[in-house]
Amino acid sequence: MLPIVAWRNIWRSRTRSLVVIGSIVIGVWALVFLLGFFRGQVNNYINNIIENETSHIQFHDSLFTEDYDVRLFIAQSENILSELQERPEIGSATSRVIVNGMLSSSNAAQGVMVKGVHPDQEQMTTGLYDKIIEGTPFDSTRRNQIIISQRIAEKLKVKIRSKVVVTFQNTDGDISAAAFRVVGIYKTHNRMNDELYVFTHIDDMRRLTLLPDDAAHEIALVVNEFDSTDVFASRLSAEYAPILVQTYKQISPDLELFNSQIRVNMIIMTTIFMLALIFGIINTMLMAVLERMKELGMLMAIGMNKLRVFFMVVYETLFVSLLGAPIGMGLGYLTLKYLHYRGIDLSAWSRALEEFGMADLVRPVLDSESYVMIATAIVITAVLASIYPALRAIRLKPVEALRKI
Amino acid sequence: MENNIVIKVSDLEKIYDETAVPVHALRGVDLEIRRGEFTAIVGPSGSGKTTLLNIIGGLDRPTAGKVEVDGNDIANLSDNQLIDFRKKHIGFVFQSYNLIPVLTAKENVEFVMLLQKRSKAERDSRTRELMEAVGLADRMQNRPSELSGGQQQRVAVARALAPKPAFILADEPTANLDSKSTANLLDMMARLNKEENITFVFSTHDQRVIDRARRVVTLEDGKVLSDHSRE
Repeated sequence: MLPIVAWRNIWRSRTRSLVVIGSIVIGVWALVFLLGFFRGQVNNYINNIIENETSHIQFHDSLFTEDYDVRLFIAQSENILSELQERPEIGSATSRVIVNGMLSSSNAAQGVMVKGVHPDQEQMTTGLYDKIIEGTPFDSTRRNQIIISQRIAEKLKVKIRSKVVVTFQNTDGDISAAAFRVVGIYKTHNRMNDELYVFTHIDDMRRLTLLPDDAAHEIALVVNEFDSTDVFASRLSAEYAPILVQTYKQISPDLELFNSQIRVNMIIMTTIFMLALIFGIINTMLMAVLERMKELGMLMAIGMNKLRVFFMVVYETLFVSLLGAPIGMGLGYLTLKYLHYRGIDLSAWSRALEEFGMADLVRPVLDSESYVMIATAIVITAVLASIYPALRAIRLKPVEALRKI
Repeated sequence: MENNIVIKVSDLEKIYDETAVPVHALRGVDLEIRRGEFTAIVGPSGSGKTTLLNIIGGLDRPTAGKVEVDGNDIANLSDNQLIDFRKKHIGFVFQSYNLIPVLTAKENVEFVMLLQKRSKAERDSRTRELMEAVGLADRMQNRPSELSGGQQQRVAVARALAPKPAFILADEPTANLDSKSTANLLDMMARLNKEENITFVFSTHDQRVIDRARRVVTLEDGKVLSDHSRE
């Protein structure tokens, strides 16, 4: 009976209840949207790093990443690469020769990291050619071709077919220089990477650095099951010791930091939303209690005990709060679905976003864990919001309440 | 307490000290009400009749004196014990009906029985019996807002009778009713009193109620001024 009375009570002042329910719907919808937008931005950043820089898993000589010494390479890398490409867990794999050097034109010079790549495998792993905005992919019949970023091209004042010189240290410790012709200019959403990486053919770099024909400094893998990356990486690590096998999280610890920081921010934002909500609900329910003092007094007079009165007000608060919440969450879910499909165009801020390595198209998304977090927060909020009005209700003395007009 | 005495108050005093000046609402009231009486407590405003009714009904506590209701001393019960006591022993009828507006007439009558955890079958038969007794068997599914003042007050009487209380306390039950509704309500109460020996205690200003009462207790300045029975 109590839930029935409580349910009917909330419709006594239909407009007031609808206003509260409406505000909860809008609040929860806005929260879902905001959290989805933040999560989308984080995913955008992480995906960019994985796609352009780290892939899911990388192999290196155990000391290579300390100072990128050209002599610290993985021997028989082509055999390892072939083995890895056979594994069903792996979507694509590629090997690279990586050399620090100086890229110069007749106008300027720039410190760069030269990545000697297998063009087809690189395309499959990082989609290198998709980022070319001018020029062509490597021509397999010609030597010493280079793909540079738009930023480097602007800085060195070079264009397609210009010649540039790369100076670097070979495996004998001597400084070598080689001329390359610019065949492609690329652009990504990460300004820092664009100013650092240039791409040549792996064979050219092996030849010029005097590396063995099957040597590579890096093997990068994209796995089919993203969630199993950690487990798979530790298996590979055991199989290929002493080669250093690392996941994207180990290569870029900032990703995990960023991820956990955003998670904390999401909790803080949810808390702020709920605090705003809690006062709105308390205000409304307090009004509902205070204007029914005489009725509550009568209920206690005819034998309704304080616990029942308390729970009747709690039920009313829960009904009002929990009616709006699923509607708000449902609307938020549909909004995110639509915006995930369409994407939110932030190209007006693309220059600023590039500074942070983010693409200008954000696809908002929210995992089920976050929906559970929001739902739990709403239930806690509703319960907390119900306590004060319910306490006010049971503090009434029937004889005094009955005297109220 | 003798078996047929349902209310016994002795040397009852009530002092309100909400303001700087204490107000003596009751000054040593002694009163006994027997089962089956139809009693009106009358007196001018401020004479203490509502205070007396509140104390007898366990809604308020006396400053001094003894209150025995249906053989139980209720002066020292805790709030929760009083609520439980009221639920079992006392039926209330209020001046402004005070039905639960979101419940139908039937549900209002059933409400206290639900609090007492009576079975559905018992609730249904008792509700029907009472709604017939108050002449509203055809209005069971109507909400209070769909009933006239007189009909609402009859539902309130049915609700008060539902738990089979020791007596009914009615505080100015006809104050908001027209003559016809008042006459109907009083007829119905008198019939219940006569046929089912239900004890009614009214506080009232209404001469129509006073004329129908078989016993009239007059209070003035918190004291019993007169106590007349008309058998």
